Amino acid sequence: MKQRRMSDRLFSLVVYALLTGLALTIVLPMMQVLTISVSPLNVVNRYGFHFIPTAFDFSGYRQVFHKETIWTGYQNTLVRTILGTGITIVMTFLGAYPLSKRQLPNRAFWTGFVVLTMFFSGGLIPSYMLVKNIGLMNTVWSLVLPGAVSAFMLLIVRNFIAALPESLEESAKIDGANDLYILWKIVVPLSMPILATVALYAAVDHWNAWFDSMLYIQNEKKQVLQLILRKIIIDGTADPSTTGAADSMNAPTNSQAMKMAALVVTMLPIMCVYPFLQKYFVKGTLLGSVKG
Amino acid sequence: MATKTKKRAVAVILLVTMLAALMAACSGKNENGGASASGSAGAKGSESAKPSATAEPPVTLDWLAYNSYGQPDANAPLVQMVEKKFNAKFNVWYVDNQKWVDQLNVKFAAGEMPDVLQIREQIPKYVDNGILAPIPEEKIRELAPTYAATIDKYDPNLWNAVKYDGKIYGLPSINLAGDYPTVVLWRQDWLDNVGITKIPETLDEFEAALLKFRNDDPDKDGKKDTYGLSSFAIPFVMGAFGYPGNNASYVMKDGKITFAAIQPEMKDALTVLNKWYKEELIDPEFVTGENTGGYWADSQALYNGRIGLTGNGMFYQWRNELFGGEDQGGGQYQNFIKAQPGGKLTFGKPPVGPSGKSGTLQWGVNSTAVGITNKAAEDPRKLETLLKMLETTFTDYDYYMTVLRGNEGEDWKKVDDSGKVLILNQSTSVADFSKKGVQVFNIMNNPDFDKKADADLYKFADSKKTTGYPPVIAPAVDSYAKYAGDLYKLATETYIKIILGEQPVSSFDAFVAKFKANGGDEIEKDVNEAYNKMLGK
Repeated sequence: MKQRRMSDRLFSLVVYALLTGLALTIVLPMMQVLTISVSPLNVVNRYGFHFIPTAFDFSGYRQVFHKETIWTGYQNTLVRTILGTGITIVMTFLGAYPLSKRQLPNRAFWTGFVVLTMFFSGGLIPSYMLVKNIGLMNTVWSLVLPGAVSAFMLLIVRNFIAALPESLEESAKIDGANDLYILWKIVVPLSMPILATVALYAAVDHWNAWFDSMLYIQNEKKQVLQLILRKIIIDGTADPSTTGAADSMNAPTNSQAMKMAALVVTMLPIMCVYPFLQKYFVKGTLLGSVKG
Repeated sequence: MATKTKKRAVAVILLVTMLAALMAACSGKNENGGASASGSAGAKGSESAKPSATAEPPVTLDWLAYNSYGQPDANAPLVQMVEKKFNAKFNVWYVDNQKWVDQLNVKFAAGEMPDVLQIREQIPKYVDNGILAPIPEEKIRELAPTYAATIDKYDPNLWNAVKYDGKIYGLPSINLAGDYPTVVLWRQDWLDNVGITKIPETLDEFEAALLKFRNDDPDKDGKKDTYGLSSFAIPFVMGAFGYPGNNASYVMKDGKITFAAIQPEMKDALTVLNKWYKEELIDPEFVTGENTGGYWADSQALYNGRIGLTGNGMFYQWRNELFGGEDQGGGQYQNFIKAQPGGKLTFGKPPVGPSGKSGTLQWGVNSTAVGITNKAAEDPRKLETLLKMLETTFTDYDYYMTVLRGNEGEDWKKVDDSGKVLILNQSTSVADFSKKGVQVFNIMNNPDFDKKADADLYKFADSKKTTGYPPVIAPAVDSYAKYAGDLYKLATETYIKIILGEQPVSSFDAFVAKFKANGGDEIEKDVNEAYNKMLGK
C-alpha cells in the first residue's frame, strides 16, 4: 500500500517535472520576445538571455504603430476574419449536410468530387487568373472566397453529422417539422462543437494569412495586418545603401526590438480569444481525429 | 413523391438564393474595385480634360522602375509635376519588395506587364520568355548622353552585365557604396593598451598585434577573455592571398572565369588561419558568426569586448568622425559606443600578404538595371520618355534632389553654394517617402549628384578607402543555380574544418578535386560559354 503511494508520488513528480519543462519551453521564449520588444539596443546586443527587462525603450512599438496603415490593416484583417469565418461555416455546413445523407443520389461520386480537390489543385497562376477574370482583384472577396471551403474540414463536418442519430430527425418529421426546420432546430444545435472548431481553424488561418493579400490586393489601404507588419519590418531593416536613403545611415535601427514588437502586436488579439475557444478546439480536434 | 419534389424545390431555392447572394456581393464589390482601380483612370480623365500645350496626348507608362517600398499616391504633387514635365501619365505598380520576382512571375503568366521595370531576375530568362525588349545603344547615347558617360566613367563593364547575345536589354545602374570596399576596423584603445603605435599593415604585423590582444589583456580586466578576430575579419585575411575564397564566388583569372575557393593560394591562406586558430587568435565562436542577431552589420563580438579586429560593414555604418550638430556617427559606431563607452575605433587597411596582395570584400558598383518590356516597345515614345527622364536625372541637380528626396525647403535644403544638402526629415521611413512619390521617378541613383549632396560623408569615405575585391560580373547559368548551394556548403564547411584543425591543410587538394567533380567544372564551362555569348563573341 505504502509502496504504491510512493510510486504514485514518484509518477506525478515525473509528470509534473515534464509538464513544467514543457511549459518553460513555451513561456521562456515568450518572455524573451516580450523583453526584447521593450529593450534598448545596447541591451539587445548583450550576450546571454533576456527574460526580464532591465531597461525600457519603446522605440520598437513606436516604429510599428507610427504607420497609419497598421490601423487599416487591423480593420481589414478583422473584416476578413469575421466575414471569411462566417462564409466558411455556412458553406462548409451546407456542403457537409447533404453529403452526410445516405439518400443523396450519387453520394459516392459527390464525395469523391470533393475529396479530389484535396489532392489536386490548379496551382498559383491559374488561381490568380481565375480571381482576376472573375473580377475579384482588389476586393476582400479575393481573400475570403478562394479558400472558403476546405475539403478536409467539410469531410470532418460530414462525418460528425452522419454520426448524429437518424431517429432524432425522424421523430421531428413525425411531429410535422419540415426539412429546413429540422436543419435549423435539430442539426445545427447538435453540430455546435464541430462548427466551433471549423470557425476557430478558419479564424486563425485568416488572421495569419498574408500571401493572398500580397497577390490579389494592389491597394495599400486594403491590405491585411500581417502584410503591413511584414512591410514595416522590411522597411526598418532595409539596407540604406540599397534604398538610397543615405540619411538613415546615421540612425541605428533597433530591428530586433521592432520585430519582437510586431510579433507581440499580432499575437495579443489571438491570445486573448484563444482561452475562450480552447475547449471547443480540443473537443473538435478529437472528434475529427477519431471519426475523420 | 410529393415530399421528394418539395425537398428538391427547397434545395433549388436554397441554392439559387445562395448563388444570387454571392453574385450580388461579388458584383457590388466589383463596382467598388473598379472605382478604386480607376483612381488612376479618373486622374487620366482630368488630365485629358485640360488641353496640354503639346499637340500629343500624354504617353501612359505602367511604371515599376522603383523599389516599391510603399504605394505612391497618384495625386501627390510630385507625381503630377513629373507627369507634366515629361507629358506622361504614370500608372505606378505596387508589388511586394521582398517577393518581387514571385509576384511578377504570376503577373507575367497571366499576361500582365508593366512598361518599365527594375530587372531583378536574370536577363536571359526574361528575354527568352519574351518579356524584355532590347534597347539600342545608339538610342541611349543619343537621348541620355550624360547618363551613358557616367556609366563609362564608373565601369564600362556594366554595359556587359546587361547584354545578352550582344544586345543591350537594360539600363545599368550604379550603387555608389559598392565603389568602396568593406571596412577593416581596429579597437584603437586596445592597440594603445598593448603598446602598438602603428596600425598593422602586413600579415606579420597583424599577427603580432592579435597575439597581444589575446595574451596581454587589452581590456585591462585581469582576465584572459579576449580574442583577436572572428568571422568578419576572415575574408580580408584571405584577401592577402589573392581573393576571399570561403564561398562559391567567381574570380577572373587570365580572362577566364573560375572559382576563388579552389585556387592554390587559398591553401596558404588556410595554413595561416589554422596557425592563428591554434594560437587562439580566432574566437572559437566564429563558426556561427560574430553577428548573433539584428542588423547584419552588427558585431556582437565587438560590442561585448570579445575581439579587437572586425570588418564586413561599410564606412557609413562605422563612421567614427562626427560632422557636428546632433550627429552621432554611423549606426553601428553608435551601437559600439553605447556598449563600450570608453571604446575607440580606428579604420585600418587590409593586411598585405607575402606576394604583395591585399583587399577586403567589395560589393561592386553594379546595381539593379532598368529595362523595358515588349509591350512598351510597341510605342517608341515610351522608351524616349524613359531615356529623357533618365537624362534629366543625370543633368538637373534640383530635379534629381526633388524626385529623390522630396520638396526643397520641406524635406531638404541646400546648406551652401556647393550644393551640399541637409535632410530635414531624418526619421521618415522609405515607405512614407514613396507615398509622396519620392524615390519613384529617379529611376536610379546618380552617383555624382549623391556625392555632391552628401559631400561630408563621401569625403570621409574617400579618406578611408582601401583596396577591395569586387565580384566578377558574370551571366547566370542553370548549372550554377543547380550546384552552387552544395558547392557553397562544401567550401565553407571545408574551410572551417581546416581552420579548426579538424581536417589537415593537406586535405585541401582533395577538396579541390571534389569541388570540381561535384559541379565546379560544369559551371565553369557553362559560365565561360555564356560569358562569351553575353559579349556577343
